[in-house]
Amino acid sequence: MKRSALLAPMLVLLTLATPTESLYAQYERPVDVAPTEEDIGSGYVTPAVQRPLPRSTLLNITDIVLLLGAMGISAWLGLVRRSRTGIVVLAIACAVYFGFYRKGCVCPIGAIQNVAVALTDPSYAVSYVVIAFFFAPLVLALLFGRVFCGGACPFGAIQELVVLRPVQVPRRLDKALGLLKYVYLALAIWFAVLPAVERDFIICRFDPFVGFFRRTGPAYMLIIGGAFLVLGMFVGRPYCRYLCPYGGLLAQLARFSWKGVTITPDKELDCGLCAESCPYGAIEKMRAVRTSCLSCARCYTACPRERAPARGDASVESHEATG
Amino acid sequence: MNHETTRRELLGHAVRGAGLLGLGGVAVYLTAKAGDEGVWVLDISKCVNSRLGATGIEACELCATSCVRPLSAVRAINDFEKCGRCYICPAYFDVMSEVDENGLPSAKLCPRDAIKREPIGWVDPDDPANNFYEYTIDEALCNGCGICVLACKDPSGLGSILLEVRYDLCLDCNRCSNAAACPDDAIDRKPLSRAGAPQRHPAS
Amino acid sequence: MIAMTGSTQRNVGLAIAGGAAIVVLACIAVLAADMIAARRQASLDDQRLEDLVELVKTDAAAAAELDAEHQRQTDKSVQRELRKTRVTWTLILAAVLFLASAKWLVSLRAQRPPTLNTSVALRAPPPTRPRKAGGDVRSHSAGGPRVSELGEQEIDLSFVDAIVAKEGCDGEAAVPILQAIQAHYGYLPDEALQRVCELTEIEPSQIAGVSAFYARFRRSPVGEHVVKVCHGTACHVTGARQITEEIRRHLRIAPEEDTDPERLFTVDRVACLGCCSLAPVMMIDEETVGRLTPGSACAALDVVRPEQPA
Repeated sequence: MKRSALLAPMLVLLTLATPTESLYAQYERPVDVAPTEEDIGSGYVTPAVQRPLPRSTLLNITDIVLLLGAMGISAWLGLVRRSRTGIVVLAIACAVYFGFYRKGCVCPIGAIQNVAVALTDPSYAVSYVVIAFFFAPLVLALLFGRVFCGGACPFGAIQELVVLRPVQVPRRLDKALGLLKYVYLALAIWFAVLPAVERDFIICRFDPFVGFFRRTGPAYMLIIGGAFLVLGMFVGRPYCRYLCPYGGLLAQLARFSWKGVTITPDKELDCGLCAESCPYGAIEKMRAVRTSCLSCARCYTACPRERAPARGDASVESHEATG
Repeated sequence: MNHETTRRELLGHAVRGAGLLGLGGVAVYLTAKAGDEGVWVLDISKCVNSRLGATGIEACELCATSCVRPLSAVRAINDFEKCGRCYICPAYFDVMSEVDENGLPSAKLCPRDAIKREPIGWVDPDDPANNFYEYTIDEALCNGCGICVLACKDPSGLGSILLEVRYDLCLDCNRCSNAAACPDDAIDRKPLSRAGAPQRHPAS
Repeated sequence: MIAMTGSTQRNVGLAIAGGAAIVVLACIAVLAADMIAARRQASLDDQRLEDLVELVKTDAAAAAELDAEHQRQTDKSVQRELRKTRVTWTLILAAVLFLASAKWLVSLRAQRPPTLNTSVALRAPPPTRPRKAGGDVRSHSAGGPRVSELGEQEIDLSFVDAIVAKEGCDGEAAVPILQAIQAHYGYLPDEALQRVCELTEIEPSQIAGVSAFYARFRRSPVGEHVVKVCHGTACHVTGARQITEEIRRHLRIAPEEDTDPERLFTVDRVACLGCCSLAPVMMIDEETVGRLTPGSACAALDVVRPEQPA
């Protein structure tokens, strides 16, 4: 839809008076200076120039509050309420707000590089929002594990929602692939601390899901994203587990988390239904591994003990006592 | 239950405390610098649609098509201090189109019809040309294609219409796709404190 | 819940998922084709514009044509944008529909056993069969187990006559007679016990006492398959309790019951089956299954279970 504005040459041409000239306006610049308010008269006041508005503080504060709220709810649903349904609802809400509404751009994953630049380049600063978005999930990870991944992260949420029939990735392969995210993290930091001209925000460049949230983007981004989503139907959250550099940071902090998803050992036999139900391979030897647990609450849903409340348990006991 | 803190728990608390302190320290350091973060700014001395001397060309329009937002964060603004308020505005009318019965060009230049034209004060019906007209850009419609910017520029116009990155709309991507697409590197990060000042062409 | 049989649900789910998947693929194809076509068209359009611009330089009359070409290209791109938006939204909706229906299908295939409370609620009215066989056996005859589903209401009592004739009529014969009846019918039918009382000197109280004392006598009909879960020491230590619990949940056996509502399986806990190295162990009829987990135990039962008619 190129629409040319070939004014200067046209001017010259038109003044050469072609036969059809009368059809078109004889254009020449009408004025040489802008009229002042006095010229215009009758109390005219020059309107203010449409300057760029400052960034909406309200929206920024809303974002931060919603992030903190989402992480709090995620921690509560995952660790206290143990509600899978709640987590799914939260994931949908976060995918809609942080993803589709905020276009996936308030995101701590890409902020890794901004923070790295800001730490090394004195002339570069990051905004309060970026600081809040980068540090709040890290602090929460120290307290409650990867609750950001569980419910608040829009990228996690969209992958969480596509999980269909997850296969158990062989433990060794899982571990080996899991190292990729640290390589990616190192690369991201390396590219960020380079001098400004060579700096490259690779996380954002190869971000698989923003294209979906914005419903547009370069073809390679959309293809990568589509591939991740299709893969995500059969391998639980491939990006979070194997590539997300921020996931790597959170995993290392979650290692020391204060609380986390716990699987209480049984007196006689651990049935293993929880490990089977975990699409992320986060239950090893019947215990939740804090570094890889995304507190999605699937294991609680699968647990027969969780499903059978105390009353039901008691009736089995009494039956076995009489039988 | 009388709970004694085990060595393991104590270590855990220590590590967590250290971690929180470390994170807090980095956050405080960054916060001290925050508030003057960079925003994407379009430099009118580089942009081909805006810069003086670049005439007789097609409008670049990459800002309209490259931005990740459906409607680009780059928009045109009219600097009223400089606007000539012409009867036939070269940025409003397609001056190459056929003249209609009122003696005005029949077509408008803006492909999205984002410019509004209002006469200022009373208009003499017999001599409408001898009047001032206010040209206002509808922000909701403008997509920053820059056609009007190119048309308003010297020598055809006074150069009052300029392109600006509206940083309230800008998603502040790390990789601004407009900046990546711009052949003239006209879009660059500038500290917020220096971004607000209105840009103007040097007086010719 | 929706009143649909399993196969109807599956077919509906498959139809929705398949339809949505086709729509998704079609949308992607349209978007991709549109993008490629637009890219190819763009250079042609630019060329045409350039040619026209050149033409206008020599022939001002062509300006109208140039204008028309501008308009045409603008309209086309606006239309393309509109189409893209529509197709994208269709794509998103179809993808959501596909995911939802596919998840539903998956959940249909691997339906989790209901919680204990649900399975109790499923079995209404609650069973009234008393386990304690105190008092007069005859008094139970009216409220005895109804096994109408299996058509065993009229029990052939000639076997009882034969066994009584063989074992004799005095009190010592009680245990052998009961053993034989148990072996023949699979349980002690009330009618047969009445018959024994009529034919012999054995008192109803004696029969009640004997049948309640020995664990191997049972007063209710067994299911088609008898599952004996070993609760010996080794099996107990390795989780026989969990196995029993999960099996009972899986078969929807109500508390105080030992047979599932379809009368397919009777789950008994027994003492050592004698293969402690395989603990935890259970026997399904004569088949021994070892090294169980709750999951594998249920799977083993499902192998025996006849295909349910859809």
